[in-house]
Amino acid sequence: MILIVEDDRGWEAYYRRILKGYELVFCHDGVAAINEMDEVRPSLVILDILLIGPTGFAVLNEMRSYPELAEVPVAIISSVKLKEKMAEKYGVVATFDKGELAPSDILALAKEYDDKKSA
Amino acid sequence: MESEVYSASFDASLSDGLTADSSTIVVAHELKAPLSLMRQLALSLDYEEDIVGAREVGRQIVATSDRALRQVQDLTRIARLDDALFEMEPVNPRIVCDEVVAELWKLFRFNKRELQLDYRNKRHLAVANRQLLYSVVYNFCLNAMNYGGEELPSRVSIYDRQNKIRIDVRDFGPTVPTKVWREIKDGFVKKPVEIAMRPGSSGLGLYIAAKFANYMNSDFGLVRHRDGTSFYIDLPVSRQLSFV
Repeated sequence: MILIVEDDRGWEAYYRRILKGYELVFCHDGVAAINEMDEVRPSLVILDILLIGPTGFAVLNEMRSYPELAEVPVAIISSVKLKEKMAEKYGVVATFDKGELAPSDILALAKEYDDKKSA
Repeated sequence: MESEVYSASFDASLSDGLTADSSTIVVAHELKAPLSLMRQLALSLDYEEDIVGAREVGRQIVATSDRALRQVQDLTRIARLDDALFEMEPVNPRIVCDEVVAELWKLFRFNKRELQLDYRNKRHLAVANRQLLYSVVYNFCLNAMNYGGEELPSRVSIYDRQNKIRIDVRDFGPTVPTKVWREIKDGFVKKPVEIAMRPGSSGLGLYIAAKFANYMNSDFGLVRHRDGTSFYIDLPVSRQLSFV
């Protein structure tokens, strides 16, 4: 299952279209994402940074503070360009600028970290 | 229950203290969002298997570009405010709000949001510039759409308030932090990430609304509720009404 933390419904529709066949769970804010991860363990988290309420960084900090969540791979897809050092610090597996992203990037991520495509 | 009320009479130097660099960054960030989405949507057409899906993508691209174009148009208008090209005239706020809602309802529906109308004003004409007032209400509504929850609809209200007519757009999203409001009031925030409490916008829409409200000599402000925020504009009642 891929957990996507994204508050923009336009992007949500886009992810649904590109990742057709994968099991997706959407959370529109960081608090909902953390709550969701209490219940289920995603194989990949796609995380936006500018979110309603706590930012994506707060979600990452929270995840990294729990051993059972610390190992969940996180990819950041955001319009905020992250410095490599920042990405390294949080141990994210990939960072993409929304302006430069390609659908193939998302599909490659999904293929690498979530092999349980339902269709 | 209203917890705090802020109101601001914006002076002409709304953007004083704002460096060209910071405003450029904020505007660039605002316009990057729709451009990025449009690019992704266009690229995703290669993955669309049926014509119905492709048409839906096309509609989403048009809706996203319309929104971005309106923002560019508003920014152009701000640059032309000094030329006093926007005449004040008697305007019926109900008609303006109806037109905004007619333009935005599809976008609200797409974003799984609702927008309700609540018109209670007994005075029907206000002094305003129709185009600028349209933009103010449009930006208030977009703001409400971005920050309102799915459970409760946003609401556009019009009512009399002493010798003014108030247009008020209420959302049920996270309340605007005081610091963020001050930054909006003073002009742009310096970095978009600073207002991550209400993301999706660096406050540009509210900045635009503030500039236009100031031009129309109207009061612009916000009411912070326990469960959301109302942005309002108070318009002078038109004397033309006495001739009706």
